[in-house]
Amino acid sequence: MRFGQRHIIAGLVFALGSLCSAASPVTDIGPGEWLNRMGAAVKASSYEGTVIRIQDGKVEVLKVVHTVQDGVILEKVVAQEGNGLEIIRIGNEVHCILPDRKSVLVEQWDHQATLFSTLPSSEIRFGSEYDVAIVRNERVAGRETLLLAIRPHDGYRYGHRIWLDTETSFPLRTQLIDADGTTIEEVKFAEITLNQEIHASALAPSISIENFTWVTQTASHSSPEIETAWASSELPAGFRAVSTHEEQMAGSDDTVTHILYSDGLANVSVFITAGSGKMSEGAAHVGGSNSYSVEIDGHEITAIGEVPAMTVKHIATTMQRP
Amino acid sequence: MNDAIRMQLSAYVDGELPHNEAEMLLRRVSQDVELRQEVAEFLALGRVMRGEAGVAGVDRLHDRVLAAIDNRPGGDSVAEDDASAPSAIKPLVRVVVVASVALAAIFGLQQTTPVADVVSTEPVATIVEVVPGFSRQQDQLRQYFLSHEETSSQMGANGLYLRLVTLRFSDPPREQNESDTESDIVDETVTRP
Repeated sequence: MRFGQRHIIAGLVFALGSLCSAASPVTDIGPGEWLNRMGAAVKASSYEGTVIRIQDGKVEVLKVVHTVQDGVILEKVVAQEGNGLEIIRIGNEVHCILPDRKSVLVEQWDHQATLFSTLPSSEIRFGSEYDVAIVRNERVAGRETLLLAIRPHDGYRYGHRIWLDTETSFPLRTQLIDADGTTIEEVKFAEITLNQEIHASALAPSISIENFTWVTQTASHSSPEIETAWASSELPAGFRAVSTHEEQMAGSDDTVTHILYSDGLANVSVFITAGSGKMSEGAAHVGGSNSYSVEIDGHEITAIGEVPAMTVKHIATTMQRP
Repeated sequence: MNDAIRMQLSAYVDGELPHNEAEMLLRRVSQDVELRQEVAEFLALGRVMRGEAGVAGVDRLHDRVLAAIDNRPGGDSVAEDDASAPSAIKPLVRVVVVASVALAAIFGLQQTTPVADVVSTEPVATIVEVVPGFSRQQDQLRQYFLSHEETSSQMGANGLYLRLVTLRFSDPPREQNESDTESDIVDETVTRP
């Protein structure tokens, strides 16, 4: 589908959404306030339920439990198919139980992000590159929800649809939307219990791990902020560099410069390392994330982000040193 | 898949199936490989009917995690890529990195790269020695994805999407059609305001 057609479809979708919004006001609260409430709900809510995730035509079912006790995040996620992979988080410590390997991997997480993260609360989060609108009321997981749409102004970033529980503002369903209206990824609760007491047993391993082998990995640490002469000569509107670090990848002595660009909602990382002569240029795809690698001035440049393919290619190929 | 299950599934996806019936359905689906495949196809068909057809190409979590952890034939050894790790812990380095991918697969968050401490009472080499399907470049790309996700998550931005993006790391990234990408860029250049 060519971009012109996409624009027409996107325009029709937008117009339809606007008509729905105008015809049936569903709330007196603005979309920004709903998103703020969502942020608070994600941090404070306890929930237990079944999540369905659909991506690339594939379906996954996960059982999830989440609560916060005395400021400590407690979470458990169990894959409902395959080898019964089970992940339990107690504060900053995360246990990954691999039943078929009789192993438990232990990791330390040094941030507060949770299974269902929230949008940044800063006013700059959308800048002028997105519109946020309340679309309509719908039912999800047997509960009344409000559908919010975050629509980008151009094809350099994805849109979002979020179904918020009208009672708690908790996101019960989310979609990532391409420029032509295609759903790239969908995550939704099939059933959920919100803000009821979570028993300790619900957060315990489902199987005995008494004789399992435990493997511990220390937390990774970011290097201090650095300055670099590398920059994109033609960033898409709204993107700006928000951090620059040096990193060392596992299994390699090479140092990589990592620049993070953001428009407040979508992020693109650019990794720069000395050329090895082994890199093949081109694009790759992981779910809604795209990457593009190119060699410039004897350096390997790879741009990665949850943005359309043309965005990472554009940023990667416009990287330069003065 | 009979009509009763199809109706149950529709109700389940729409969140309208009672809890006890949902449990039974899940149990049945989880125990029946053939039914699970049919369910996936049914749901995919639903997406197509709704005009939500997505991009083809990757396996489900189970397959990805298995592919990452099991010693499946046909893959490339990546032990030679672990040049910075002492030889005795090279296999474990891979285990830990792969398991990190599994974590990221579920939580959409990740802890990546350096493996400084190892605490194990078992001979780690028995866990896994080879991760299939990774060339050096694919392994590098996978680490870039993980690093991107971690950095983005710590920035507090775009959390909605970052939660589950890295599932695909046990599969080689799908090569894109260069001509399609080029076409998009040309169109975008022309029509972008």
